[in-house]
Amino acid sequence: MDKPQPLKNLRILDLSRIWAGPYCTKLMADMGAEVLKMESLRVYDSHRGPVNPARGVVSYPDAEPGEEPWNRNGWFNCLHMSKYGITLELTEKLGRETFEQLVSISDVVIENFRQGSLERLGYTYDILKGIRPDLIYVSMPAFGNSGPWQKYVAYGIGQEQLSGMAYMTGYTNDGPMKSGINHGDPITGSHAAGVLLAALRYRRRTGEGMFIDVSQQESAVSLIGGPLLAYQMTGQEPDRIGNRSPNIAPHNCYPCQGEDRWVTIAIKSDQEWELLAKSMEAEHLSKDPRFSTNASRLANEDDLDALIKEWTSNKDAYEITELLQYHGISAMPVFRGPDLLENPHYRDRSTFVEVNHPQVGPKMYPGMPWKMSETPGLVHWAAPTLGEHNYQIYHELLGLSETEIGRLEKSGIIGTKPTGSRII
Amino acid sequence: MTYIAHSDIAQDGLLTGVKVIDLTHYIAGPYCTKLLATLGAEVIKIERPVIGDPMRHVGPSLDQIGEDNESTTQRSGETGAWFLYLNTSKKSLTLNLKNPQGHEALVKLIESADILVENFAPGVMERLGLSYDSLKSINPRLVMTSISNFGESGPYRDWKAAEINLYAAGGLMNITGEPEQEPLKEGAPLAQLGAGQNAMVATLAALTYAEDYDEGQHIDLSIAEYATNILENALMQYSYSGVEYSRVGNRGYGRAAWGIYPCQDGYVGIIAGPDQRWPQVSHIMEREELADPRFESRQGRLINADEVDALMLPWLLDHDKVDIFKAGQDEGLGFSYVASMQDILEMEQLEARDYFITIEHPVAGKLKYPGPPISPQLNDSSSASLKSAWIYKPAPLLGQHSQELLSELGYSTNEINQIGSSEK
Repeated sequence: MDKPQPLKNLRILDLSRIWAGPYCTKLMADMGAEVLKMESLRVYDSHRGPVNPARGVVSYPDAEPGEEPWNRNGWFNCLHMSKYGITLELTEKLGRETFEQLVSISDVVIENFRQGSLERLGYTYDILKGIRPDLIYVSMPAFGNSGPWQKYVAYGIGQEQLSGMAYMTGYTNDGPMKSGINHGDPITGSHAAGVLLAALRYRRRTGEGMFIDVSQQESAVSLIGGPLLAYQMTGQEPDRIGNRSPNIAPHNCYPCQGEDRWVTIAIKSDQEWELLAKSMEAEHLSKDPRFSTNASRLANEDDLDALIKEWTSNKDAYEITELLQYHGISAMPVFRGPDLLENPHYRDRSTFVEVNHPQVGPKMYPGMPWKMSETPGLVHWAAPTLGEHNYQIYHELLGLSETEIGRLEKSGIIGTKPTGSRII
Repeated sequence: MTYIAHSDIAQDGLLTGVKVIDLTHYIAGPYCTKLLATLGAEVIKIERPVIGDPMRHVGPSLDQIGEDNESTTQRSGETGAWFLYLNTSKKSLTLNLKNPQGHEALVKLIESADILVENFAPGVMERLGLSYDSLKSINPRLVMTSISNFGESGPYRDWKAAEINLYAAGGLMNITGEPEQEPLKEGAPLAQLGAGQNAMVATLAALTYAEDYDEGQHIDLSIAEYATNILENALMQYSYSGVEYSRVGNRGYGRAAWGIYPCQDGYVGIIAGPDQRWPQVSHIMEREELADPRFESRQGRLINADEVDALMLPWLLDHDKVDIFKAGQDEGLGFSYVASMQDILEMEQLEARDYFITIEHPVAGKLKYPGPPISPQLNDSSSASLKSAWIYKPAPLLGQHSQELLSELGYSTNEINQIGSSEK
């Protein structure tokens, strides 16, 4: 018989949007938490995309938005698997009553509105605590719930800059570079999920809920603790050095055969360098005084990289990787989309999983990012369409009658068709 | 907020009473156990005698500054910036695990532990006689978390990797950097740190299950898989429409006026979001041409990206980063700036929120450390005695707690001297 999921007794009322909050609740949902993803028909989660997107936008299946594009967007659909989708308008009296009923049966409320937005609707932690005394309320505005910047807005891309990550990323002698994603979001989501679990454990022992103040910026700064301490010790700001390491060489990304194909190689010792030279059929290089010690390799790194580049540029990235890994040297091709989804290692580990979404069909999604021996986390179902679980949650869970649900539908408080969508 | 080290015994924090055996080193594992330790768990870091966690010797550190100064050439192994940051609030016990007595002491500690975290290469724990199956037989409630580059199974299980290789294998590197240049890694080790964060989430979920059902389990977490898990649309657009995501330098993917730009004293993030706020940009930058209806939509700005950039640049180059940031924020736009380490240490928002914590370390002295990534606020009315969610103490000196911990296990002083320092 299947064992229960570790978080099966946990109900999260999830008002969060975009990425940071949804990444937190996705990790919880895949481990069995009952996550009620609540959206407004007027302002749904903007990851669902516009109501009338242009054709050819590639985040839709086969670049075709379809009849209900808000249900067919890959951005949204990869972050909300295993959650229940409900809609509700908090600006309407009936909606507010229903919301308060939901709060009363939830362990956790989580939101990442602009600071103060929920308060303007009349809901503070103290008021929600009056409805559910042991509630854990996670509030994640960009800069936290206090301080001179509390009303400011920021996206993940901004947090990479304001946390120092962008400052130390970039090509040598060039400006700072943004990442291809927005690291600020998943970093905040993951920290929040961990601290939420710690807070839940505390509640199990004491019966006490709490307010959890999340500053996405502080969460991101937490990942550059090393450079911040180093700066205080040395007075030196970190250098932008591309793909090199300040401590050891060679350490870089080299071009390979084919268009936009690259291999990364990182040496960890003199012995590994000798093995690399041997693999390159250029054993004399490890005896060359320019490259014989780590210090001399660092001093002559341009020459060293030029020689390695010459060796890699007419070879296949996978062949180089296999050869170097055989010798115990850290090497990997730079993986692109097809490399990821068709990779034998990732297939073997179900790193990506096929999920059948009713309006999309079967597609590959990121799976659970870890394995648990006794209670394997898994993607339980596809991301919900807008308001997909309204009936199930409002009738079966909350116990509203058919008449009451009909009234909510008629007044536009719940539903499955958007009445607007403001995209941020 | 200033905490000065006063006691070595954890008495506070959300995870008070949780005991963690920490067999981690370098970055990913230590970040996981740092989060657990600063949340109040008792984390016992097992280190190799004499050398300890190799990260102790990775710079920048005060040791390196000492090397320039001929009078103090002794390498202490106590002041590596990353080491100090990643090991706050832990205890250090030196044990030689290949020595039968060292092994026996470790097994005794594991008998009464809740959690064991390790990040050796797959197979090392088995070779040390510490496989999950054998530990489960002595402590069935144990949560064992293994963090490795590619996971405990699959064809790449035994492959070697450094951060750059993991970033490449996770698909993140391919989408970072300029389209005409090589893919770029982040300056900070974000794949390892992010995996460490997720390991905390997995571990605490498994702890919940262990406490509810009296059964532990083994968690297998791969750093490369963490990276694949946060690709978001970069993966989804390929999965949905077969169109690969590419590098776009400092411009947002499929966006314009969404990236890093030079300014008078550094670099800023100009972000045309929320979308409906775009018209404010022409007022802020005193350029009526920016209000051109052609630039009103996201698509319009994208088509005319070069023109939009050229219109913004003169004003940007004439203004300072913080002024630009605030000018945007005052109009509700998510502008940002590229902050250096010094900028962050002096940032008014972080100061107002008492984010940094001053910790005095016996060798490294007083330094400002990043504080809680997430801030739970315990209720004032709480009946429980807990005063704060997080507990900050300096990283331990190598073997600082050996005596105390081994005598708790019932070893005599003679035995302790043998066990704690044996290199054989």
